[in-house]
Amino acid sequence: MLRILTTLLAGLVVAACVSDQGESCPDGWCGTAVIATPAEADVLFPPSAQGDIARSIIDLVFTKLAALGPDLNTVDTSGFEPRLASSWIREDSLTLVFSLNPDARWHDGVPVTADDVVFTYEVYRDSLVGSPARPRVLQIAGVNARGPHTVAFHFPRPYLEQLFDAVYHMWILPKHVLDTVPRAELVAHPFGRNPVGAGPYRFVQWRAGESVELVADTASFLPRPGLRRVIWRTTGGDMSAAITQLLSGSVDVLNYLPPEAVQRAETSDDVRAIAYEPSTFYSYLLFNLRDPNDPARPHPLFADRELRRALTAGVDRAAAVRAVDGPDGIVADGPVSPALWIYGLDYTRLMYDAARARRELTALGWRDSDGDGVLDRNGQRLSFSIIVPETSVARRRFAQIIQEQLKSLGVEMRITELDFNTFLQRAESGRFDMFYGSYGGDPSPASISEVWTSDAIGGFNFGSYVNPEVDRAVRAALAARDIEAARRRWTDAVSLINADAPAIWISCTVPKAGVHHRFENVSIRGDNLTATLPAWGVPIDRRLPRDRYVN
Amino acid sequence: MHRFVAARLLQAVAIVFLVGTLTFLLLRLAPGDPLTGTSSSILVPRSVVEQQRRAFGLDRPILEQYGRYLANLARGDFGYSYREHRPAWQAIRDRIPNTLLLAAAALVVTFGLGIAIGVIQSLRAGSRVDDLLSLASLTVYSTPVFWLGIVLLLVFGETLRWLPVAGATDPVVYDQLPLLGRAWDRLRHLVLPALTLGAIGAAATARFQRAAMLDVIRQDFIRTARAKGLAQRAVVMRHALRNALLPVITLFGLAFPLLLGGTVLVETVFAWPGMGKLTIDAIHGRDYFVVTGAAVLAAVMVVIGNLLADILYRVLDPRTREAA
Repeated sequence: MLRILTTLLAGLVVAACVSDQGESCPDGWCGTAVIATPAEADVLFPPSAQGDIARSIIDLVFTKLAALGPDLNTVDTSGFEPRLASSWIREDSLTLVFSLNPDARWHDGVPVTADDVVFTYEVYRDSLVGSPARPRVLQIAGVNARGPHTVAFHFPRPYLEQLFDAVYHMWILPKHVLDTVPRAELVAHPFGRNPVGAGPYRFVQWRAGESVELVADTASFLPRPGLRRVIWRTTGGDMSAAITQLLSGSVDVLNYLPPEAVQRAETSDDVRAIAYEPSTFYSYLLFNLRDPNDPARPHPLFADRELRRALTAGVDRAAAVRAVDGPDGIVADGPVSPALWIYGLDYTRLMYDAARARRELTALGWRDSDGDGVLDRNGQRLSFSIIVPETSVARRRFAQIIQEQLKSLGVEMRITELDFNTFLQRAESGRFDMFYGSYGGDPSPASISEVWTSDAIGGFNFGSYVNPEVDRAVRAALAARDIEAARRRWTDAVSLINADAPAIWISCTVPKAGVHHRFENVSIRGDNLTATLPAWGVPIDRRLPRDRYVN
Repeated sequence: MHRFVAARLLQAVAIVFLVGTLTFLLLRLAPGDPLTGTSSSILVPRSVVEQQRRAFGLDRPILEQYGRYLANLARGDFGYSYREHRPAWQAIRDRIPNTLLLAAAALVVTFGLGIAIGVIQSLRAGSRVDDLLSLASLTVYSTPVFWLGIVLLLVFGETLRWLPVAGATDPVVYDQLPLLGRAWDRLRHLVLPALTLGAIGAAATARFQRAAMLDVIRQDFIRTARAKGLAQRAVVMRHALRNALLPVITLFGLAFPLLLGGTVLVETVFAWPGMGKLTIDAIHGRDYFVVTGAAVLAAVMVVIGNLLADILYRVLDPRTREAA
């Protein structure tokens, strides 16, 4: 028995030794990136994909009419780069006409036509499909084909971001594959786990719970990507195990490095931390303006605008950001992430001033009458709780620092950590005093209207913040037809929001990914891990054995 | 024997039904639902979420949902995976082979290693080897499986780089390997998770086996075997070990549910694409039917494992047959 086992083991070892014969590098073109992700993609059907991971895979398998430039400017049309559309013209203030690249082919060899674009638009706007992008796509009045390679987009009103809305939200779908599938069944169709796209990479296989493999499409009309293979490897939810995999060389990219792992990665010989730039995120402490126990009534504390302003002035956000995000951290100064083209405009900001915060609290009648260290007024203590997702180390640390800062003012903030699903459910149902949110929307200022207007109540406006003036200002900004007018109106809108202090803006979090040193031309665009990945490459002298395996 | 098996099978059906019902109810009591979202999801407009809730029947009363779940289950339909957008059974089915492979390998470690150590200890009872092995097995037995996995991963994966630290295969090369190469690749990936999962069981088995062997070695029939001039190897392997295995077989029945529980942690640490990791992800995402399906399936496996242990026990020990 022992002899049989020994022989078998020896056979396996020999097999392993000869297995490297599979290495090759045709045309000198090779390179493999193994990307570690904590969870698996949900589905690779573009209109229904919700997870970051699925969307990063989809961005390589499928393509859009045009791509945003690296600075994510949504109004400067010169920044857009051709993809399926080789060019576009503005026919009039309500119509954009795209000319498709006649060489564009689906990965099964069928040409991409204007009918595919029209079909895509219909799928995205169909309520039976339930695409998260549907509200944005409904900004477009209609799409029609004007020939096999010409397609026109019609808008109901003139505005600055028409081109952005036409190209950013939709990955073009193959009509010849999906046309016969009932719309309600599209999301569960096997296509979602075995997609056919027209992007720079072809789908190869999906091993459930383990990996998704793509290979560069050698017949693509798009420029040849630097890497021949890209493999997403599921590492499981344990972050320390995922970091070990990165540092041990099992994987090349870890899509997110928590703050405590960034330094560990930077001191490693093999790995560097690369920032998602510009960041599309900002985090904030949201005041609930309605009573969590009876939403029909105002919140006993935070319905008071002056109290919200005093608390905002009492938080030293710069110190908190330095402590958590390090010296490169960015303090948020409004509901505006660095990715938005309106970032840094001259809008009103509420600055840190602890002395002013104390004065204002006293003026509002808050005093520590019973000497317990917490201010009170008419028998009510200045005490509230904040809900924080336990999955976010950064937000937990921020909450602890801010808790100490508020304590020095005589304000008691109790921290309640919740699992993410419960956290979101409490936010949606308005059962909180304060909510530690992090928003990462589209790189368009229109995302402001998704959270901070009365239209967003019942949506992402979890704090029920309402100011009709803000609504009007945001509508005016969205309708602006030239960039200078848009700047002025967005400045007004953000100033109004900041003056009301519906939240304390904390940090414009700049997420970082861990990337192996051997890759060149590495950058990561703020909204998507893989938007720039086709430009990555591996110089010949830095190739590892896994770079030479070609599927 | 037939009546015994039939009675146990009836019990098994009741247990599985109970597990399915409890899992269904507990999940529905937890806050949130499959459409609330996860930390890595984009924010989906509420109107879209509400429409999906209606489409999936999540807005219906819980009793109605339960009735529909039971009716579907009776037809062999486990329900729909909201996370993977396909039937829950397909999501589970894809992971079963990996979990069974890991559990089987861990069983080999648990019983192969555990019995071997127990036998060695009993033959050298009171010696320094016995003391050292006792200390080692007690230490391993007291170690949390999660921590043990991380330590093995850091030592053999990150520091020494001898063994792969994640997954069941190497996705870069696996498809290009010959058959034996693939087997080798799987074996290398299996070593650390199987060792982690099986080591603690092996420590327990070793302690049981040592005690059982010491008990048997002191009995008259062993003395008689030795007096007849049988070689030490024959006495130990053919007479002592065979009789000392009975208590360990009881342990086998208990080991299976423990191993299945352990796979949840080990699969998470080693990113092993099995049912344990699937279940954890599904719990976090409130993917109701994947969790209930996995729980029902795990209950079935545990019940079968216990049934096999009982049958084996009755086959090996005639006294249990007579008592029945």
